[in-house]
Amino acid sequence: MSLQSTSVDAELAAPTPRRRNKVKRKQTGWLFLAPFALLFTFVLIVPISYSAYLSVFKNALVGGTSFVGFDNYVKLMADDNFWDAVRRVLLFTAVQVPIMLLSAALIALALDSRRLRGTNFARISVFLPYAVPAIVSTLIWGFMLGVRYGLFKSFNEGLGTSIDPFTPPLTLVSIGVMITWAFTGYNVLIFYSALKAIPHDLYEAASIDGAKQRQIIRFVKLPALRGSITITVIFSIIGTFQMFNEPQILPAIVSNSGITTHYTPNMYAYQLAFTGSEHGYAAALALVMALITVVLAYAVQLWGMRRALD
Amino acid sequence: MYKRSFVAGALSIALVAAATACSSSASDKAATPGANSDQPVTITVWGWDGTVEAAVPGFEKTHPNIKVDVVNAGSSFDEYQALDNAIQAGSGVPDLAMFEYFSVSYFAIPGKLTDLSKFGAKDFESDYVPGAWNNVVLGDGVYALPSDYGPAVMFYNMDTFAKAGIDSPPKTWEEYYQDAKAIHALGSDYYIMNDNADIFLLQSLIWQSGGRPFKVDGYDVNIDFSQPYTKRAVDYWQRMLDEGLVTTSFAAWSDDWNRTLNNGTLATQLIGGWFTSTLPERAPEQKGNFRVAPLPQWKDGQNVGAENGGSAFGIPKDAPHPDAAYQFLEYFTHGDGVQTRVDQGAFVPNVAVLNDPAFLSHTDAYFGDQEYRKVLAEASKDVATGWQYPPFFEWARSVYGDIAIPYYTTGKGSLEGILDEWKKQMTAYGNDQGFTVNK
Repeated sequence: MSLQSTSVDAELAAPTPRRRNKVKRKQTGWLFLAPFALLFTFVLIVPISYSAYLSVFKNALVGGTSFVGFDNYVKLMADDNFWDAVRRVLLFTAVQVPIMLLSAALIALALDSRRLRGTNFARISVFLPYAVPAIVSTLIWGFMLGVRYGLFKSFNEGLGTSIDPFTPPLTLVSIGVMITWAFTGYNVLIFYSALKAIPHDLYEAASIDGAKQRQIIRFVKLPALRGSITITVIFSIIGTFQMFNEPQILPAIVSNSGITTHYTPNMYAYQLAFTGSEHGYAAALALVMALITVVLAYAVQLWGMRRALD
Repeated sequence: MYKRSFVAGALSIALVAAATACSSSASDKAATPGANSDQPVTITVWGWDGTVEAAVPGFEKTHPNIKVDVVNAGSSFDEYQALDNAIQAGSGVPDLAMFEYFSVSYFAIPGKLTDLSKFGAKDFESDYVPGAWNNVVLGDGVYALPSDYGPAVMFYNMDTFAKAGIDSPPKTWEEYYQDAKAIHALGSDYYIMNDNADIFLLQSLIWQSGGRPFKVDGYDVNIDFSQPYTKRAVDYWQRMLDEGLVTTSFAAWSDDWNRTLNNGTLATQLIGGWFTSTLPERAPEQKGNFRVAPLPQWKDGQNVGAENGGSAFGIPKDAPHPDAAYQFLEYFTHGDGVQTRVDQGAFVPNVAVLNDPAFLSHTDAYFGDQEYRKVLAEASKDVATGWQYPPFFEWARSVYGDIAIPYYTTGKGSLEGILDEWKKQMTAYGNDQGFTVNK
């Protein structure tokens, strides 16, 4: 009995080591989170909140800034230039992303097959285009695909054709080529890492079952890629929705390409904000674009998760 | 307890950071009342004109209390954006900023530029060519001082002309048209001029023809492309395009354009006089072949010019040191600094310089030792007055490309159609922005 009372006294005198540890662990947790939390707040939360704040104002050259509520959003819904740009970017995504990811998956499988000579060289050289700055690559592609002095001139002369890669229907195709060239390597890297992470006992089990290479690919490798396919699809959608570099720089190099100042949503937002001084409208556009991207990315993620659970 | 103190700590850091940011901008404004030039003062000048820097040492010697810091805050459009941002943020506004002539009204009309009349700038009117002065005056005020000028002139390749059997440059637009046919007959690659939806080109033609499509009176803007003088220029250029005498297959300022100039298949350039500084780099193989001549005229014997570029400097409304800024502004656009800049290659609209024999006798081997400055000086003086830019011209020119592109790409449509659509969009935009356009 006396022992009990002393232990109770002892407990009342100071918190038990267990409780002190719990508090310390919580504090340590916050400290670990803090750098990211601070960065996340200032780089993401604050700008988005500020954009939302800007988007309910209208900026006029005469009369300055005035509160207009959701007028900018209403105006955006009726804006032909915006929806034209969104359609273009959706079409581009629907065509370019599957082609790029298919190529990336094939290349990754080839690299992983261990039947390739010079795997390391192939891995690095496939990834190199990603390291080239977008502006530099656009300039070089613009020159290469030029029909007056570029490679395409020789191509046309050699084959007797007169294809101009930068005329309106083909311009998007040419941009697609540039973007696929630049980003396939990045996706190859993601797929390749996923393939490398496949546990070896799966391969052993497959060879015990007498599986051929084709069956190994179909039943071991491809399912392992499923998770990374979801990720790369999301990244690619986000990337193509934000397309800006190529259509912004090309008009300075090539003429008659059909690229307008509202060719993609990002270009339109840039034009509105910086040439037209309509910051509020541009902010509304950016937020709506972000919303569309988020919805699409979430849908892809749900689709990917459901497939994974099958 | 620990969590609370951590959150408190983070909040206080954020508050301190915000407070220092706010106070630094406040101290910028409060630092100098501006009038006292006995206090040493540093003024910031934004500009992409490389010759302004050259005028600084001479100024600082005679004005020991003023230090000048010339900063390239981007060129044209990038700088206007930065200036707009600075004005909106209320901090970082420079003391002087560079403006192309078409952007002066954009900043002056909403009151973002200081009226220089109070410093006595109105007395300088006769010291500049009328075309340049016209650009910096709005209503009763003077909002900038001209710092350089781009009279529209014709650069022609004598060698190519000789090949086509033409021994003197065209003096009238009818001659230009006939010469264009002769040049194009030399080969399918030969053209007298290029055009890819270049609004400055079309505008200089309209200007020279006497067209005044924009009428600006404060916030009232009137846009009309159907006046006879405007139509005359538009129809002329339409005919040139229709008959394939002008090439549309490459963009000006692109690599393709450089190469075409360089191989002699592009016979003329209707462009601003400032082109003398960059043509030698773009077409080195044509050294000795290019000459400068006045723009062709509508009637033989006339001497009407137009403008294609040029810039001025003004003092933003919230500039920290307006008085010191004006002293430097006057120095390098009107005073002793002008000659320094001219020696560096600047082409200025100051009448004294344009009449100076030493300036005019300069020759360049690239232009076959032609005294080309004489042509440029005459062209500057001949620039017809009465032209006004709409206050939202930057936006308008970017949209012009969008509208004109389908026509230049597919051939469907016409310049008239483009101008009509451009007028519609400008009207909608201008009214939306608070101006009264075509009402």
